[in-house]
Amino acid sequence: MFKKLSITLTGAMLMFTVSAVNAHSPEMHKKENAERPNCQAMANMDHSKMDMNDPIMMAMMQQCMGNGTNNDGHNNGHNNGHNNGHNGEHKDMNNGHGDMHKNSDGHNNMKHTQ
Amino acid sequence: MITFIKNSIILLLVLILLGLGFIYSGLYPIGADKQHNPLTFWALETLRIKSIARASKDIKVPPLTDPKLLLSGGADYNDMCSGCHLKPGQKESDMTIGLYPKPINLTLSLQEQGHAFDQKNADDLDKIARQQFWIIKHGIMASGMAAFGPTHDDDRIWAMVAFLQKLPELNELQYQILTARQ
Repeated sequence: MFKKLSITLTGAMLMFTVSAVNAHSPEMHKKENAERPNCQAMANMDHSKMDMNDPIMMAMMQQCMGNGTNNDGHNNGHNNGHNNGHNGEHKDMNNGHGDMHKNSDGHNNMKHTQ
Repeated sequence: MITFIKNSIILLLVLILLGLGFIYSGLYPIGADKQHNPLTFWALETLRIKSIARASKDIKVPPLTDPKLLLSGGADYNDMCSGCHLKPGQKESDMTIGLYPKPINLTLSLQEQGHAFDQKNADDLDKIARQQFWIIKHGIMASGMAAFGPTHDDDRIWAMVAFLQKLPELNELQYQILTARQ
């Protein structure tokens, strides 16, 4: 009796575990939660005050480089601004993007500065 | 001597019976809207702290500096943890108000979270990383903290630990960008 119960419980737990592993793959999360990163707001920041060696900044750059719709202006601006020292060019990137602060609630200043 | 042993056994049996009687009486308030009495709280907190410290002491912490870890760990944190452990700019949620014990606000600095922590001491950082990994993987009984080990491999859990190390430094925009799944 006890052996039967143990086998049934173990089987049920195994089935639950297998189904749970499938349910929580990153691909599954992607479908459920497809919010896009707000890379346009990042393009509006003063890049001269950013530390490009900061892991947080590097991760944000990677995220936005992988985002086909929002990253073009930002990446071009980043390269121009930091390789050539033309910080003023970043402000021009944002012309025509009046809605870019929708999700940032005005928090467009990075905490990590040089 | 024999009388002493006999009396001790009787006393022990009485205490066990009283304990069982209390458990079966249903008198202990188990609702999460009530707090433990100080003795129970001390016993459970000490049990939790000592158990996690012992169980996690031999875990090897891998390098956690790769920025890619922040993207993987951030997305998982946002999906699975932020409801209880909050996001930058958030002070409370239904879960932080309703759960007992109250989940730690992981957007606060390690000192504010209550860790005895010396920033210059690498061992302290390692210890916290080991314990965070263990807690995410195994969960904590009767606390509301789930075990993510059965559904997430070690690499994903270490990525969450890497994200937790940076979380107190993030503002709302940084958090949104790092945690969005594309």
